[in-house]
Amino acid sequence: MNKGLEKKVSTDKTTLVARRLKKEYGSFEAVKGVNFEVYRGECFGFLGPNGAGKTTTMKMIYGAAVPTSGTLKVVGLDVRRHEREVKRRIGVVPQENNLDEDLTVEENLLVYGRYFDLPRKVVERRAEELLEFVQLSERADAQVEQLSGGMKRRLLVARALVNNPELVVLDEPTTGLDPQARHLVWDKLRELTSEGKTLILTTHYMDEAAQLCDRLCIMEGGRIISEGSPRDLIEEHVSPEVLEFRASPEALEELAPIVEDASDGVDRIGEALLVYTSDSGAVTRKAKESGIPIENSLYRRATLEDVFLKLTGRRLVD
Amino acid sequence: MGGVSIPSPRGALRVWQRNATIFRKYWKTIMLPNLFEPLLYLVALGLGLGAFIREGGINGLTYVQYVAPGLLASNAMFAASFESTFNTFIRLKIGRVYDAIVATPVNAEDIVAGEYLWAGTRAALYGTGFLGVITVLSLLFSPEALLVSSFWALLIPPVLLLVGVMFSVMGTLFTSLISSIDLYAYYFTLVVTPLFLFSGIFFPVEDFPAPMPQIAWLTPLYHAVNLCRALATGPSLSVLVDVAWILVFTAMLAMLPVRFMRKRLIS
Repeated sequence: MNKGLEKKVSTDKTTLVARRLKKEYGSFEAVKGVNFEVYRGECFGFLGPNGAGKTTTMKMIYGAAVPTSGTLKVVGLDVRRHEREVKRRIGVVPQENNLDEDLTVEENLLVYGRYFDLPRKVVERRAEELLEFVQLSERADAQVEQLSGGMKRRLLVARALVNNPELVVLDEPTTGLDPQARHLVWDKLRELTSEGKTLILTTHYMDEAAQLCDRLCIMEGGRIISEGSPRDLIEEHVSPEVLEFRASPEALEELAPIVEDASDGVDRIGEALLVYTSDSGAVTRKAKESGIPIENSLYRRATLEDVFLKLTGRRLVD
Repeated sequence: MGGVSIPSPRGALRVWQRNATIFRKYWKTIMLPNLFEPLLYLVALGLGLGAFIREGGINGLTYVQYVAPGLLASNAMFAASFESTFNTFIRLKIGRVYDAIVATPVNAEDIVAGEYLWAGTRAALYGTGFLGVITVLSLLFSPEALLVSSFWALLIPPVLLLVGVMFSVMGTLFTSLISSIDLYAYYFTLVVTPLFLFSGIFFPVEDFPAPMPQIAWLTPLYHAVNLCRALATGPSLSVLVDVAWILVFTAMLAMLPVRFMRKRLIS
């Protein structure tokens, strides 16, 4: 389209920049002035519970929602002034399946490619390659409704790639899939980043964020409350080791102050006491010495979930 | 700035093509009932009721000659109305087809324009089918009183396209305002059916006392019926008024559903 713009983007290291980005629905502020940037070739994640503003942020990126204020530049272009051009250069995997049920698997790609004004020959070749890529070649002539949930999601991924986008936006790409199907989708997404594509995804699964994202931000109540690589976030916010004790509420009540001295902090989550520490040996010893009856204890490395818990005071998936 | 803009013809074409792709696969199944329905009316009312209508018919036409072209117009209305109500609603709310399209370079405005054109195309296709059937039937069974007697009838398909677009604009306007598919009962009972009955298809509304003719003149199907009847039997210049009426009415209304649909698709 515009040669000048193309050039600018190809030398720019940031694929997306958001500044004081805000979205209001009437008096409800879904996104409360967030700042973030996404670099070329990375996988950037939005982690947060339902209603945190993740989907609204995604929608502003792919043009399904118009920002109330602030700036949002995607592939170097302002989303409000270059609506069509932005959409031409990105791919979108929506949260809800919206494949065209009146079309076959392959037709879904062919018709979708036409929306991008791609020549018929080009789309036909792309469709074949993409079906291969998402392992649906054998189902090319199947009706969409005959596909399993995992296959539909893979077809959505293939559809998002039909225009060979620089940036792919994925809103909860594996929600509702069984573990096997999730891993297959993850593999495909990793292949995409290794090809140099930029990915932005939202998730409320810790393991997904940890597995896929180079950097991520944690969103809650329309704000970004922390940002960094999974490892940085863990190092910054929580101690490396976690001990989980399970016992009666009274016993946990009693145990908490005893182990607190040897730890960097404790949290009560339902039936469990979480103890964050860099010296799990000392904590275990203290717990044993106290003689308080403990049903069960578990040692593990700190995860993103602990970061989330620490920052928001609650679990991510409940 | 997120406002409504004029639809892009290319985007509209893409949406039209999407519908055409699906129609091509199922057209035989889709079109058959739409050919039978006007034929049923033609037989029941044109021939059945017509047998009781005194010699001389209406305005020099036999009753069946009088009714047939009007059914061409109403058939276009029904085709475009179903397309822009139930079918559009399903794409909007149930299949979420439009949500997928607005994430591509095709904008919400283009979708609505593409749907107008598609509804018009369907109306023209059905109408042409029905026109063909009644032409052949009347050549076979009553060559002395043809149902379609003028070569101007060749202009009926493009006129039906226009009529289809007009009714698509009306149907899409209703669709863009409702949130439940059940509400279409109101649209069909309060808008489509009265238009079908009182637009001069089955009896001349002009012969009724005021304000009946004036009210009819203000409604859309009346002009479509006039146009089709005139083209089937040999038109006078007065049909230009009907064409102008349809064009002005359609143009005045066309951007409203575009605006409302954009609001529903882009938050």
